[in-house]
Amino acid sequence: MKSRQEIFDIVRRSLVELFELEEPTVVPEARFDDDLEIDSIDAVDLVDHLSRIFERRVSPRDFRSVRTVNDLIDCIDRLQTQ
Amino acid sequence: MMRGRTDRLHAQASDYFSTSESPAVKRTDYYWLRLVGTGLWFLVFGLVTFVLGFMVLPVIRLLTPERSRRQRRSRAVLGAGMRAFIHGVSDLRLIDFEFIGREKLGRPGQLIVANHPTLIDVCFLLGFAPTASCIVKAGHFRNLITRGAVIGAGYIPNAPTEDMIHEAERALREGETLLMFPEGTRTVPGKPLLMQRGAANVALRAARVLTPVHISCEPSTLSKNLPWYRIPPSRPKWTLRVGEDIDLAAYRDAPLPIASRRLHADLAGLFAGATPVRD
Repeated sequence: MKSRQEIFDIVRRSLVELFELEEPTVVPEARFDDDLEIDSIDAVDLVDHLSRIFERRVSPRDFRSVRTVNDLIDCIDRLQTQ
Repeated sequence: MMRGRTDRLHAQASDYFSTSESPAVKRTDYYWLRLVGTGLWFLVFGLVTFVLGFMVLPVIRLLTPERSRRQRRSRAVLGAGMRAFIHGVSDLRLIDFEFIGREKLGRPGQLIVANHPTLIDVCFLLGFAPTASCIVKAGHFRNLITRGAVIGAGYIPNAPTEDMIHEAERALREGETLLMFPEGTRTVPGKPLLMQRGAANVALRAARVLTPVHISCEPSTLSKNLPWYRIPPSRPKWTLRVGEDIDLAAYRDAPLPIASRRLHADLAGLFAGATPVRD
C-alpha cells in the first residue's frame, strides 16, 4: 500500500523520465491532453510503465475517465485497495 | 455601377477557373478498353471478396477450430485471391507493376511499414507476403462484406488505440509478420504525408526487424477521393521497392515514448521522398 503522496511522486517521476517533462509542470491539476500533451499512444506507454511499477495487470479501460494527474492518482489508489 | 463591378468579378473568377484547368492530355493505351476492363475487374473483385468472406472462410472456420492454423489457412486463401487479382489486372494490361525485393518480406517478427498512395496497395503486399497479419480499419470488422475475412484471418483493428498496440505487440512477439500503413489512410496526391506514431511505437515494443516499403504509382490513380472510373490517360504503373531494414537497436536506449518519437520522425523523413508531389 502506498500513500497518495508516494503515488504522486512515482507518477511525476515517470512523466519526467518517459516524456522529458519539466518537473514543476507536473502538478495534480495538470490535464494530460492540454497541459502535458500526452496523446492516446503516450497514455498506453504510461499505463504499461505504471503497471510494471505497481505490479498490477491493469486494463487501459480502467483509465478511461482519467483527465488530470489527480484523476490518475485516484485511479491507482483505488486499484491498489482492490 | 454595382453591376459593372460584379461583372468584373465574374470575369476574374472565370479567368481563374479556365487557367487552373489542366490542358487536355491525350488518352492512350486503349483508354476505353482499360475503362471497361477496370470496371469489370472491380466487379469480379467485389464478388470474389463476397464469396471468400461469406462461404470459403466460414468453412475454414468450421474445419479448423485451432486459432493459429485457422489464421494461416485464411491468410493463405486471402493472399492467393489478392495475388490473382494483381496478376489478373496486370495480364489484361490494365496496369503494370514492378515489385523490387519482395523476397525480403515475410520474416518472423518483421514489421513492414508502407506508404499508402492507392486503393490496392494492400493487395500487392498481402498478395506477395500472405503470411503477414495486418492492421486494418476498425470499420472493416463491422462491414458485413469484409467482416468474415478480417476476423478469419486474425487481422488487427486499428481502434481502440491500446488494444491495437497490445495486439500488434503480441503478434510480433509470437513471430508473426505484421503489415502497417503508418499514414492510417490513403494519401491525397500532392498533400504532405501525415503519419501516425503508432507504427514506430509498435516497432520498438516488439519488432525483431523493421522494413519499409516505398510504393508509387504513375500516373496517379485510385487515390483518396477519386472514383475507380477516373482512370489515368495512360496505363498506370505501380513500383514497390522494399527498402533496407532499419536498425532498431539505435533507438532502444531511450525510454519508449522518446524513442518512438525519434523513430517516427526518421520514418516520416524516409517516406517524405516516396510520394510524388505535384503542383
